[in-house]
Amino acid sequence: MADTPIATINFKEEAHRLLPEGASFEACLTCGLCSSGCPASGIENMDPRKFIRMAELGMDAELSTTPWVWCCTQCKRCHHVCPMNIDISQLVFLARSNWPEDKKPQGIVRSCQMILATDSTSAMGLPPADFVFVVEDVLQEVRATQPAFKDLQAPMDQQGAHFFVNQNSREPMSEPDEMVPLWKILHLVGADWTYSSTGWAAENFCMFSGNEEAWYEVIKKRVDAVNGLGCQVWLNTECGHSYYTMWQGIKHFGLTADFRLESLITYYARWIREGKLPVNCRWNTKGIKFTVQDPCMIVRKAFGESIAEDMRFVVRTLVGEENFIDMQPNRSANYCCGGGGGFLQAGMTEHRRTYGKRKFDQIAATGAAYVLTPCHNCHSQMEDIGHFYGGNYGVVHFWTLICLSLGILGENERTYLGPDLLALID
Amino acid sequence: MKDEPRNFTTKLAIIGSGIAGFAASIFAVNRHIATAQIGNTGAVAYTTGYLDLLGKMDAATDAVTDPWQALEELRKKQPNHPLSRVPVADIHRGFAEFTAFLGECGIAYSDPGDHNITALTPVGTLKKTLCVPATMAVGPRAFAARMVCVIVDFIGLKGFSGREVVANLRDRWPELSSQRIAFPDMPHGELYPEVMARALEVPATREKLAEALKGAAGPAKIIGLPAILGMHCPDHVRAEMERLTGLEIFEIPTMPPSVPGIRLRELFEQVLPKRGVTLIPQQKVTALTFDDNGATLCLSDSYGPIRVQAQAVILATGRFLSGGLEAHPQGIREHLLDLPVTQPADRDLWYRERYTDPRGHAIHRAGIEVDGAFRPLRRDGQPYNAGLFAAGIILAHQDWIRGRSGAGIAIATAFRAVAEAERFIIARA
Repeated sequence: MADTPIATINFKEEAHRLLPEGASFEACLTCGLCSSGCPASGIENMDPRKFIRMAELGMDAELSTTPWVWCCTQCKRCHHVCPMNIDISQLVFLARSNWPEDKKPQGIVRSCQMILATDSTSAMGLPPADFVFVVEDVLQEVRATQPAFKDLQAPMDQQGAHFFVNQNSREPMSEPDEMVPLWKILHLVGADWTYSSTGWAAENFCMFSGNEEAWYEVIKKRVDAVNGLGCQVWLNTECGHSYYTMWQGIKHFGLTADFRLESLITYYARWIREGKLPVNCRWNTKGIKFTVQDPCMIVRKAFGESIAEDMRFVVRTLVGEENFIDMQPNRSANYCCGGGGGFLQAGMTEHRRTYGKRKFDQIAATGAAYVLTPCHNCHSQMEDIGHFYGGNYGVVHFWTLICLSLGILGENERTYLGPDLLALID
Repeated sequence: MKDEPRNFTTKLAIIGSGIAGFAASIFAVNRHIATAQIGNTGAVAYTTGYLDLLGKMDAATDAVTDPWQALEELRKKQPNHPLSRVPVADIHRGFAEFTAFLGECGIAYSDPGDHNITALTPVGTLKKTLCVPATMAVGPRAFAARMVCVIVDFIGLKGFSGREVVANLRDRWPELSSQRIAFPDMPHGELYPEVMARALEVPATREKLAEALKGAAGPAKIIGLPAILGMHCPDHVRAEMERLTGLEIFEIPTMPPSVPGIRLRELFEQVLPKRGVTLIPQQKVTALTFDDNGATLCLSDSYGPIRVQAQAVILATGRFLSGGLEAHPQGIREHLLDLPVTQPADRDLWYRERYTDPRGHAIHRAGIEVDGAFRPLRRDGQPYNAGLFAAGIILAHQDWIRGRSGAGIAIATAFRAVAEAERFIIARA
């Protein structure tokens, strides 16, 4: 068992250093809106208000060692609802950084180590050559078995392509057929895109592990890959935290990025509006109900309401206005699912499910049969809490439903469809 | 990678996201004025849900029973009070329009009536208010008729005690008693009303709680609960709970953070964008400037800088908590434009010795001055800008706390400010 001591942070002093001028943790009214709205409240006998009060009282040893900092997903909902604009997640990041590597939850640490281990920056350790092989292999199979896509492309290291498309490692590593719907969409809209054999992976647990050096190294590798190919847009696919860690990393470390960072969701909406993705809801003849999960990392913490609105436009178009039921609360006020911040990787299963109960209640209140979300951590967490709490819903990617609507979803691309949706295809 | 400013152009910009700001947006939307609203989280989440017009005139008089008559008296005694500067008919119209909007959007309210309602507070004291949410309406009626009633609270819930409510009301409501029960599926730790309310949007939770309530009710046919009956469809949740229990159920506000306030905030944040308002919540305007083309508002959200161009602006930035006013050693300042603030001559005069002094404190009457069109005034007594208006408790010459008049001032002055802003925008066109 590791026995490296955890150093004690002077939180009050650090807070003064971290906060912008005019902001102050001392402004806390102790009203409790943060704790009331935090799914991590009560776990490890801690909550955001208590964290701030303890910092104010100088209880630094307790705060420096509380495992709660690994249960807080740094979703910033506490900040969002705080009338005094107090951002507690900064102190949580500080506390995480302060833990010795051997005391941190090893799942997060290992994920970060894997990311650093190859030029892919893949948390599952998939090396560049294997990624190239898997993409080519799947591509050839699709061309051979789906005549409508005999000319499908999955460009690799295409110099000067408009879009540099990232990919969560889960697809090439565990479910490679899930890459195909995305390729089909890019093919249909005539996108000028490329994968890169380096820096292609989306996930980034180094930031969540509180390891700034590692976070920098990952982002640098990805920025170099995009700059090297001369792409104009780094297109973040259906992965929430990849966007946030890249965007914040570039700003935090002052990196030169000769490209824009954008989300695939924005483009789904744009391509539908432009008629390039002629999706509709006529397939939903049974009136199957859907809801949508707003990933914290791209909604509350990044793009805000504009991407939330784009997401709803896409969902409504895909499933029908009357078949879309919004979760409450939603958009920037939405709750984190409990899969973010490295919680899924941390191995704290009981705590993670306690956290996820609020998300489960949100989903259950909608009565929806499916949750759509453009985030792999949200996806996995919502599936897990659904099984654990006895839910009766499925979780699907946007790309799956887009291709379903277009009638181009291949047989191997239907993993996340329940019998009700499969029946509509067959 | 650069942060490109996002630009919005609108007719009316409302700064502030308290009741005054949201009321102004509602009135503007109903008048088809293109509107943007920007404001920090604000104090809406702290409200009880009651909409007070005028509950207390001054320390020397009793609680107000007829607020409309009291407004006439206020006009004579305190002509500079913001409520004295809005025609009574406009105040009535403002309340009716505001509560009707809330009802259309899913939170039904009682209509503004001829008299104040005697409503229950979180600690079992009584207060006068004009409009109450439908989920709370049975409570005042049950109190008035002294009906057999049980106040139910929950293990682990702080900030609401059935025993306390009963202790404070027992001499006036002998048939009142209390019971404490466990909330379904929340066996450990501190409970928050917000969490309970959201859990009650799940039918299975309602069914479990209904069973527990039937056991707690005993012979009573009416049950009072802390305000936890759902977050975004409270009337439906209450109706379902009544159906499942066969009891009449009402809510009592809790101490902050309270569900009725969060309900209102989430309703505003969801409904107003659907009605066409460009809503930028959780952000503070950092600069406001005027030129011949109108006003420019600068702010930043987590994604980067934002600029809003507007023809007219309503300042509804609130007081100290919301940041509209700032207290400095040298005095009180208006945060955004450094507008002159009417205030005690000396800091020593801000407070009386006892905080609970019923006469209130001079600092609570500090605020900005406006003309008859609710335009903030410069030090020379002239309007700061023809297109700048103000509403809410940033205005001087009122003590909304002692007067039980926070919502009244917010709604009434927002009604007037929007009317004047509309006139200005039309004239400019």
